[in-house]
Amino acid sequence: MKALAAVLALSLPFAALAQAPTDPQIAGIVVTANQIDVDAGKLAKAKSKNKEVQKFAQQMITDHSAVNKQAAALAKKLGVKPEESDTSRSLKQGARENMAKLKKLKGAAFDKAYIDHEVAYHQAVLDAIDKVLVPNAQNAELKGLIVKVRPAIAAHLEHARHLQETVAKK
Amino acid sequence: MKYRPERLEVAVGDTVTWTNRDVVPHTVTAQAAGIESGNIAPGASWSTTLRSRAEIDYLCRYHPTMKAVIVVR
Repeated sequence: MKALAAVLALSLPFAALAQAPTDPQIAGIVVTANQIDVDAGKLAKAKSKNKEVQKFAQQMITDHSAVNKQAAALAKKLGVKPEESDTSRSLKQGARENMAKLKKLKGAAFDKAYIDHEVAYHQAVLDAIDKVLVPNAQNAELKGLIVKVRPAIAAHLEHARHLQETVAKK
Repeated sequence: MKYRPERLEVAVGDTVTWTNRDVVPHTVTAQAAGIESGNIAPGASWSTTLRSRAEIDYLCRYHPTMKAVIVVR
């Protein structure tokens, strides 16, 4: 039930968009969403004692950094300057709250909170890709990059769900 | 995220090239067969020549759910 509430809270920033985001705003959302998960991964890698959780965290750092590198290269090529929006700002706000919460936790409680959040976060990002980012992206290459990112996000979600079962048993 | 094709048959002496069409890095790793591509960045390729008959199960070190097999005949 708790996890479900987290998903709803997280999907809110994406769903609450009053207007369709522009391409610069979409680029800003992509960059922000990736950076948030890199930062959470770095914290988890430093704090978790669980090897599987650390591996997952490293994968998040590697993959989301790689996506951002390509997003930055594409934005430069297209002359699109990533812009802040209500969505990117609320994502950052949510990330600050999550990091503050995680920093207070240790051991198994940390692992559970981190992984629960990763499940909710990747689900929210997947929903945002399908309902907001892909339908509204105007530039074909920007849209193409987001479509290409989707399988990685889906794989992360699956991996996080699998870990959720393992950390719950500890 | 997957290797395509997930099963490939080649002849001894053939060179196989993997091209990473994904947005994240991957590897081609088969410890038992002594195959380790190292990091293959998005857009990059890596090749190896297969010199003996074998059935090689490999995976991506970063994403272990990615699995495939090469049969060298």
